[in-house]
Amino acid sequence: MIPSGRTIVTCLLGLSSATVAAYAGHHGANMWSPMPAAQPVTFNRDIAPLAFRYCAPCHRPGEAGPFPLLTYAHAKARARQIAAVTSKRFMPPWLPEAQELRFADELRLSDEQIALIQRWVEQGAVEGVPTDLPPAPQFVPGWQLGRPDEILEAEKPYTLPASGSDIYWNFIFRTPVDRTRWLKAIEIRPGDKPVVHHANILVDRNQSARRLEPEPRGGFPGMELKIESETFDPDSHFLFWKPGTVSRPEPEGMSLRLDKDTDLVLNMHLQPSGKPEKIQPSLGLYFTDKAATLFPLLLQLENDRRLDIPPGEKRFVVTDEFTLPVDVDLLGIYPHTHYLGKDLQALASLPDGSAKTLIHITQWDLNWQAVYRYANPVFLPKGTTISMRYVYDNSSDNPANPNDPPRRVVAGNRSSDEMAHLWLQVLPHAPPDTAFDLRMLLQEAMARHNLEKNPADFEAHYNLAAMLQTRGAQDEAIKHFELAVRLRPQDATANNGLGASLLAAGRIGEAMPYLYAALRAQPDNFDAHYNLANALASQDRFFEAIEHYRAAVRLHPEDANAEANLGSALAETGKLPEAKLHFQRALRIDPNHKLARENLERISRDPKDLQQ
Amino acid sequence: MHRLSLNSQPLLSFLLSLMAATILLVALPTLSAAQKTALHLDGTPADPFLAASGKPVVLIFVRTDCPISNRYAPLIQRISSEYGAKAALWLVYPSRTDSAEKIRQHELDYGYKLPALRDPQHALVTQAQVQVTPEAAVFDANHHLLYHGRIDDLYQDFGRARPAPTTHELNDAIQAALSGKMPPPSTPGVGCYIADLE
Repeated sequence: MIPSGRTIVTCLLGLSSATVAAYAGHHGANMWSPMPAAQPVTFNRDIAPLAFRYCAPCHRPGEAGPFPLLTYAHAKARARQIAAVTSKRFMPPWLPEAQELRFADELRLSDEQIALIQRWVEQGAVEGVPTDLPPAPQFVPGWQLGRPDEILEAEKPYTLPASGSDIYWNFIFRTPVDRTRWLKAIEIRPGDKPVVHHANILVDRNQSARRLEPEPRGGFPGMELKIESETFDPDSHFLFWKPGTVSRPEPEGMSLRLDKDTDLVLNMHLQPSGKPEKIQPSLGLYFTDKAATLFPLLLQLENDRRLDIPPGEKRFVVTDEFTLPVDVDLLGIYPHTHYLGKDLQALASLPDGSAKTLIHITQWDLNWQAVYRYANPVFLPKGTTISMRYVYDNSSDNPANPNDPPRRVVAGNRSSDEMAHLWLQVLPHAPPDTAFDLRMLLQEAMARHNLEKNPADFEAHYNLAAMLQTRGAQDEAIKHFELAVRLRPQDATANNGLGASLLAAGRIGEAMPYLYAALRAQPDNFDAHYNLANALASQDRFFEAIEHYRAAVRLHPEDANAEANLGSALAETGKLPEAKLHFQRALRIDPNHKLARENLERISRDPKDLQQ
Repeated sequence: MHRLSLNSQPLLSFLLSLMAATILLVALPTLSAAQKTALHLDGTPADPFLAASGKPVVLIFVRTDCPISNRYAPLIQRISSEYGAKAALWLVYPSRTDSAEKIRQHELDYGYKLPALRDPQHALVTQAQVQVTPEAAVFDANHHLLYHGRIDDLYQDFGRARPAPTTHELNDAIQAALSGKMPPPSTPGVGCYIADLE
């Protein structure tokens, strides 16, 4: 019998995957070389290559830029604007400072390029000779990855009000698959782009976000989401869109798993434009036959507990650090704070004493937050310490400060609260013959690190216990489940988890009170019914066991184990025809269910056999 | 040209207006200052001061394609509804090329109900001493320029918007025009450069 119920609560915020990218133009910026001072700067020769590469991917019809920048006339009509926003590095939007570890698709103008634009405007924004103009960039309209295999459109549009503060809105997409499928990409089409600042997808395997919808299928507000996930099954992909993102397939070997009944929750940051806007995003799914062979993991550094920022404080520092228990390749990075974050930095200190800047943002702006992918995977050996150092400005000098006058700010999910998160997508280096999932080792180290920071953190105890349970370390799992239950005696999943681990350790009598407690807290908890039924059955209390198996089957009619065990318990009490029915059901759900098949054969061969 | 607060010095204001006109003359030698005029959407010459004798005049400069001035549409409309009875409020489009049709559609899309003028020759831009959209100019009942500049401090810089404004210059300037109190100091706006429209 298989204990059930490892619900890992993860706080996946902003986890998205994706491809912050810029248009990889045909006219590389590197082709630019300084002009002799006497030669006037012209659009056709000097500015067009920059505009085509850095501006046009968004500033073209149908994209996020509020006006096009595809021709001389377009650029001339905005010349001073272009000079001003590039000199302040507001455009193109690219937050990280230049650094040794390069990011893919950097949208960063060099100081020389910015100076060139200023000179062009100062000299009168001259057009130049037609023969200097490079060919216009070719863009694909609509879906960037071609026609999707399946397009999901939000069921109901959301109407963004004409004015007011920024809105965070979530759409739930019901996936259309009837079995587990693999995806090579999900492309996000956010709808009316000029009002969409970013969008990211959270994978909700338990459909838990549906409970947050005030009316079914209407979506729900909220900046940061908490999604429950069953079993140790980390979603290891960033699924992220912001203006300028070019969708890309996932790297070879890293397809995304999509199960039946999984919801995709699209979390969107919207900014009012002056008129009401209807937002109806869609997702394009691109299937592949290739199952994933490489399994990256999202590591999270954070220190929300340290966030208690006094009003007026200009340099409030929060740090965290984590030492890698295995060799990894770092693939992408996603720093995240709300509106008070100012200077965000992450470093890697290697065992050989060298250090690498992973990212450094000196002018954080939530409006342009993004996932950054490294141009090449960054090898970080076991023993490397990754550290984050975030500085917050809670003074009135910070124009983004949500409070006027400034107030004390602590951690929380609302946009007026703060966060101190750093996500890293890493691919563990596994020797070819490793049977053990190294992600588990990383995740466990992460959970232990969280407990050092937050010894009274329910979720940290719970998540560590769930992982220990999964790898069969029941004694230590029991210890952490007990601490979790002590922190939240009424929590059904924690009580069930403790019961399940005690059960797995053979301590059946001790398990039962926790399983009963789980059911008192949540009478429709499938896992608790199933585990309690197993406990009762193992004490030959079959009539009671049958009642709980029946409840479990009612709650999850598709669970082959529950059907098979119900059949077994019925057979033990002599109800053979009914037992047969449930063995058959279990086999319909899972034709390879060994226990159901064996028991069905025994009944068919010699019904009396089972009664003894 | 740098900006000055001219509220108590109408003579200086007059001189500065002249100066600006001279500069423009150099830039556009084919136009003479005397011919410059704003237009109603039907194409006839418009003088927003003529029809408003004894009343303050408020000019609010916007573009159809400026995301920052567009974001202000609900506030501009609210201010217009609030003061429409006591002051003459006009939306001014300084674009040289936007058609009357495009402007009517823009007003419709953004829910504007105040009357609109086209200012392709920048006659009003010069008179109001504005440089970006959105900026506003408030003239008192004697039609002296009392305030010109930002509507409020929602934007500190490009891309640096506050969650909500903490100052309300346009509203305060209109109050000042109606009550004779001191107007707020003229403060430049953040937005789309009108000079780019030349």
